[in-house]
Amino acid sequence: MASKRPITQCLRCTGHDRIHILPIRNLMTTTSEPPPPPPPTDRSSSEDAPKQQSSTLNPFLVHTPRTERKLLATQSQYPIGSRRRRAALATSSNIPFTQLPYQCFQEARKILLEDRREKIAEIEKMRERIEKAQKEGTRQGEGEGEREHRVRSMRGRVEDLKVLADINDPLVKKRFEDGLGDMNKPIYRDLANKSWRNYKRKVLLQRITQMNVIPDILPFIDPSVSTSLVFGRKKVPHGEIVESTLSERAPSMELQCFDKGERLVTIAVVNPDVPNVEKDGFAYRCHFLASNVRISPTETGVDAATLNDESQVIIPWMAPYVQKGLQYQRHAIFILEQPQYSSSTEPPTPLDLVEIKKQARYTNRDGFKLRSFADRYRLKPVGVDLFRALWDEGTVGVMERLGVSGGDVEFKRKRVEPLPYKRLKGERFR
Amino acid sequence: MALHQLHRSIRAPSLAALAALESALSSFRISPQRAIPSGRRNASHQAQGRANGPKDGAGKRLGAKKTDGMYVVPGNILYKQRGTGRDHTIHAGVPGYVKYYTDPALHKKRKYIGVVFERGNTLPQPPNAVRRRKLGMLAYQMPLTTVQRETGDLANADLSASSDDAAIPPPVLQEQPQEARKTKTIRTRRDGELVETKLTLRPGYQWRQTNWEIARTALQSKAATSAKTYKPGDRFAAWRKRSARVAKNAERRSIGRASKGKKKSQKQAA
Repeated sequence: MASKRPITQCLRCTGHDRIHILPIRNLMTTTSEPPPPPPPTDRSSSEDAPKQQSSTLNPFLVHTPRTERKLLATQSQYPIGSRRRRAALATSSNIPFTQLPYQCFQEARKILLEDRREKIAEIEKMRERIEKAQKEGTRQGEGEGEREHRVRSMRGRVEDLKVLADINDPLVKKRFEDGLGDMNKPIYRDLANKSWRNYKRKVLLQRITQMNVIPDILPFIDPSVSTSLVFGRKKVPHGEIVESTLSERAPSMELQCFDKGERLVTIAVVNPDVPNVEKDGFAYRCHFLASNVRISPTETGVDAATLNDESQVIIPWMAPYVQKGLQYQRHAIFILEQPQYSSSTEPPTPLDLVEIKKQARYTNRDGFKLRSFADRYRLKPVGVDLFRALWDEGTVGVMERLGVSGGDVEFKRKRVEPLPYKRLKGERFR
Repeated sequence: MALHQLHRSIRAPSLAALAALESALSSFRISPQRAIPSGRRNASHQAQGRANGPKDGAGKRLGAKKTDGMYVVPGNILYKQRGTGRDHTIHAGVPGYVKYYTDPALHKKRKYIGVVFERGNTLPQPPNAVRRRKLGMLAYQMPLTTVQRETGDLANADLSASSDDAAIPPPVLQEQPQEARKTKTIRTRRDGELVETKLTLRPGYQWRQTNWEIARTALQSKAATSAKTYKPGDRFAAWRKRSARVAKNAERRSIGRASKGKKKSQKQAA
């Protein structure tokens, strides 16, 4: 509603209520656009009108304590928005943003519109050139690879121009900030990507490098898909410690990719901190593995509990548990993009799950090596998330329900024999 | 250079040569041509006292305490050094063998000290390889908690089990968790009723109830439970209370005045 009435901002500053009375200089613009229509002289929206008070009060517009009380008493409704906002809405006219009667603003819009027209013309030109390059084939002295590179770079330029055409539009920016951006459009994808890379991706990278997820499970990752993890109704920030009872049920995830097109991904949840007392070291355990999960910029939600058991899930969800005395265990969630054997226009080929399920090393939870799996099926890590688990009061119950023994086992530090000259007097001779 | 110019000036004296001569001879002049500058220069450096003396203090025995390849256990000091404002002594965190190494990826010139688990291992580890780690822990069967023990007693509450004391092994102190070792229960008979009081070992080796238990006892006491709950906005109760207070104060004042007056008179009389 505020977007329709941005003039209120200005009115608030000047503090006068004369917009209806004073003639607005709405024709003082040099743009070629038609002059904006005169502001509607509809004063019924104002709560000062006696007619309004007698009938119903608008919760968006009441702004005096008396009318607020009346609204609550008669309509049992609370006012919506701040009082300042309500007052501004009630006392200003409803001029569309693009038609605001300010000369400088209209001049600036004119420049932006001109720039946009230029960009669109350039896109058209580029498209023609791409078409020509595809029709004509290779130029003289140009190899096939070079031609492909030329076409690819031109396509990249077109994508850039699509973003540049809209990047200065204030309405686009507003719609994005309101969360109304259409992820099918390159500009909103670009804005979302930028805002993700600005903060959340940095935090994620810090967590996975400081907690050594990266050399321990996979050698390298350059995340390009934003991930967020939800257990039940609780959003879990990257690297948070999750209660054992909360993580008993499979999580749901939001996987937002920022480049166009559908793709199939494999989701793997791996714990690299499973204690191995015999080896005096750590082992891997896979808590979840599913392939052929379709994601696109608009299809982002993935619920690990509702994936198809036959065509998607390889290893179903197992609740994380950490025995008492152990350090926290990292549970890394990797999003691996499956190779697209066919061209990008056709739907990607899914992995053959029947073949995978025959191999014991990829269906056994214990000792699951994600490096090996990713290499074998040429998977490329594109996204990562992390949560941690620690022993708590609920762990024993979780292990019982899982049917895992060892809930009554406590880990304690192994004594390291001191150096001979540091030993106590009698100890040396025992 | 001045002498050379002097030599030339004998043959062909000129203004420049005379000036050169003047400057050359000025160093041999006893009486200064110009007046002594009146400004005074202060010392910029402390000349007396402790400032310039103690540079030969005892050595602080810094440096390497373990050499490459030596076996160390956690806590062993590897290298003693001073940082800015604090001690930057390096010690071992895991048992293993000391390695001195450089890591150009981290810093071009710095030398690092590390501990490897096996003699043949090297440092630094390859950047993208899985880290070498050791668990360093052993698994133990957890002792039953007090709750479990109590419920277990309740389960076979029939006295046949408890009467056969010899069958039940006495609890070993070591097996009990730390929490159980720090509490003990004393049973006292109050008004013919068995009252159990849980005592906890507090700092200073004093066995007493915890603060929250004391508070709970106070809150559940007869006085606390019989007290009326405070109702905010109960003006009638407030009025009754206030009027009672006013009446009491008036009464006390009247008594006090009377007694004071008496005392005064007694003193005067004395």
